[in-house]
Amino acid sequence: MKMDIEMLPDVDVVELKNGFRALLVERRSLPVVASVCWYQVGSRDEKTGQTGVSHFLEHMMFKGTDKFGKGEIDQQTSKMGGSNNAFTDTDSTAYYFSLAADRWETALEIEASRMRSCLLDPDEFQSEKSVVLEELAMGEDEPWRPLYQAVESAMFQTHPYHHPVIGYREELERLTVGQMRSYYERHYGPNRACMTIVGAIDRRRTRRRIKQLFGGMPRVADREVAIREPEPKGERRVTLKTTHSVARACIGFPTCRMGARDDYALDLLAHDLGNSKNSRLYRRLVVEDRLVTEISVMNEVRQDPGGFFIMCELHPGAAPEKVERAIREEVAGMIDEGVAAHDLRRIRTQIEASFLFQDETVLDLAMKLARFEAGTPDGYSTLSQVLSTYASMKRKELCEVAARYLQFDRATIAWALPTDLPASATAGRASARSAAKRGSRRKAAPKGSPKKGKKKSKTGRGKA
Amino acid sequence: MSKNPIRLDVAERELKSGLTLLAVHNPGVQTFACAVSLDTRIADDPVKLPGVANMVGECLDEGTSRYDSLGLAAAAEEVGAALEGNHRGGAVMCPVSSQKKATELLRQLVMEPSFPGREVRRVQSEVLTELQSELDEPRTVAARRFRAEIYGEHVLGRAMQGTLESVAAIKPKHLREYHETWFRPRDGYVAASGPFEPEDMLDRLERAFRGLRGAAPEHAPLPKVQLGDASDHHIAMPREQVHVFLGHAGVRREDPDFYRLSVMDHILGSGPGFTSRCSRKLRDEMGLCYSVSAGIAASAGAEPGTFTAYIGTSAEHREKAVAGFLAEIDRIRSQPPSESELQDVKDYLTGSFVFALERNSNLAAYALRARRFGLGYDFVERYPDLIRAVSVDDVRQVAERHLHPDRLTIVSAGAS
Repeated sequence: MKMDIEMLPDVDVVELKNGFRALLVERRSLPVVASVCWYQVGSRDEKTGQTGVSHFLEHMMFKGTDKFGKGEIDQQTSKMGGSNNAFTDTDSTAYYFSLAADRWETALEIEASRMRSCLLDPDEFQSEKSVVLEELAMGEDEPWRPLYQAVESAMFQTHPYHHPVIGYREELERLTVGQMRSYYERHYGPNRACMTIVGAIDRRRTRRRIKQLFGGMPRVADREVAIREPEPKGERRVTLKTTHSVARACIGFPTCRMGARDDYALDLLAHDLGNSKNSRLYRRLVVEDRLVTEISVMNEVRQDPGGFFIMCELHPGAAPEKVERAIREEVAGMIDEGVAAHDLRRIRTQIEASFLFQDETVLDLAMKLARFEAGTPDGYSTLSQVLSTYASMKRKELCEVAARYLQFDRATIAWALPTDLPASATAGRASARSAAKRGSRRKAAPKGSPKKGKKKSKTGRGKA
Repeated sequence: MSKNPIRLDVAERELKSGLTLLAVHNPGVQTFACAVSLDTRIADDPVKLPGVANMVGECLDEGTSRYDSLGLAAAAEEVGAALEGNHRGGAVMCPVSSQKKATELLRQLVMEPSFPGREVRRVQSEVLTELQSELDEPRTVAARRFRAEIYGEHVLGRAMQGTLESVAAIKPKHLREYHETWFRPRDGYVAASGPFEPEDMLDRLERAFRGLRGAAPEHAPLPKVQLGDASDHHIAMPREQVHVFLGHAGVRREDPDFYRLSVMDHILGSGPGFTSRCSRKLRDEMGLCYSVSAGIAASAGAEPGTFTAYIGTSAEHREKAVAGFLAEIDRIRSQPPSESELQDVKDYLTGSFVFALERNSNLAAYALRARRFGLGYDFVERYPDLIRAVSVDDVRQVAERHLHPDRLTIVSAGAS
């Protein structure tokens, strides 16, 4: 099926001498505007002893600046009939607004004010620390977060992706407002940020306003290069005992950077492996063997090499070793076979459709542009190559990429087992055999989006 | 806030079968969305087998007269469509170029599901595991118990998903019976949004759904929902936080106070960001939680919803949080808000409405809601005036009339 997709809208780039960049897109179907201010700072920039400061600081960025007092950012947003929110992940912190077109420029004023002049009031700091600690407790109660974190910590032993975005409780408790201020002053500046603005805007006026508000700001230090994660020297295993009654598994493979050619191949492999009813793992583990109730696969790209994750939730009574064996067999089958041509066509159709749906709202488009601008070496213009890159991938290349990354002797395998299930249930390593020997080929066609840059390890300040 | 300049182009056509088609013109977009919403009600679920309606929704995409489960999924994927069923019908989103095929797949899913035994048993097993898994989640456990306490024996107190026992007893024949009986056109809707001219879109929908025929029995009338007595319950679970729900039976969507209550909610506990009183007090000032809310209008439907205040907090803060909610409920019942506080909320509600109209699926849902509740398709134009008409005294009066601090049910689950 042929879709006519405009991947790269008409983008007006504003580039200031201090390194600040803004991307403007005019879209006038509704009188609304969305803005995203995306900072190149995340949990990977944190020092030992100060984990969680990026995310905590994100909360504090709503607690008052030199021009907007405590509560005013939310109050003004609300008065303007808009919404705002933010999130922090390993690589980035992003702040966003959706506002009516006749008053959206307040968002620019807020972003300019809090780029260098956040108050970080000590009383507010203490009060918000309690909120962040409650958020951490909430995450600890979730069935997936501790398991996923266990995989991240085991997979990244040298690189700062090792520690949780929300931080460690004890370090958060000890964190001082002085430490946060120093972190803020070091990392928040025009050369570490980009903005995307999409909607019913006047481009010339917006360009002028950006220069007025951001042009005088001093540069801050460039981002330090994080220490490289060495190639794993064997399989790593983690078993958690959980008070949840359902067993869950998360398997992670270290991969590549966002925007690398292999990243696109891994997207296609993720779709073929586990993101639709017709994917290999769904058909095998859910439909045929009935071992798991849910299975998903995610190619989580990052600015430094990220991870490829397989996650599943077991039926009560299903043996973990059987599940693991089946996953190994299916991954081995994919390495042997790659993805068949007709399956690739279907996957590409799904990916193309998902890009269409990503453009339905001005905020979706602003977010997509910001993600590509900040996350890929060629910035937002990468978008013009995305579909042709997917289209250029053939079976042989997909086999090679699968063989390069999806080997279990470089995987981290984590299980969360109910307390009444013996840990030894997963102790033995299951042997893999090719799924190709089991007969019929699976038909791949994911219904999800490629979700480039979408993070599971993302946390924010709460509701919009 | 300026006058809302939005005007929607909606067309409707009622078929002889009693099915109403709705088409929203959304020019220039490259996507299409369509939803089928039939007149099925919670009371239609078999009394002795709760969960059948939910299972019907879960199993609609497990096969039709022409496709098996995987074949149906593949057919949708081949045209870039996302297809799903639910207990009232189903929905599809797709690129505009595949509208015809996607609508046809939705038609089959709604009108010709086959409920194959093997797939029904698989889904049944998945639902049972999900129910088991939800018993581990204190927020879900508390929410279910809260609903059960508020509605008591009333059918609205039933869990839509059923119970471990009832779901285990469901057979494919129960799904076929339910579908045969209740998936009928009268008082049902098919709503679509896309770039086609409305009359053209109605023709397309009529071609697809004119075969939906037959009449359903009368729905069993529901008894009036009564306000319960005050009660307090805690379910201990080994967790870091405790999840607290506090409230009582609420109002219907057609309640004449609905818009005044919407405004009250935003002042009390549903405002955007952290602007509501409960957010400011319990989160910002007291640092008790990450997540807090309170409101009565959002759950209002054809039947009464609930007034619900919610907080997730540490066990040692439970009583402080409950006291905080009570203080805010008392305050909004006894004192009118300031003019500026009210104006802020009006500005938000009148200005933010437009953001609900960006996606095709939202536009179709909007048309459906406007028609089902008799709001009129010009509702989007009239809504700002309905909100602007609310006064500070209205807010206090509706709070006093609809919030009952002496009849609160409190349910918590989690850490003790």
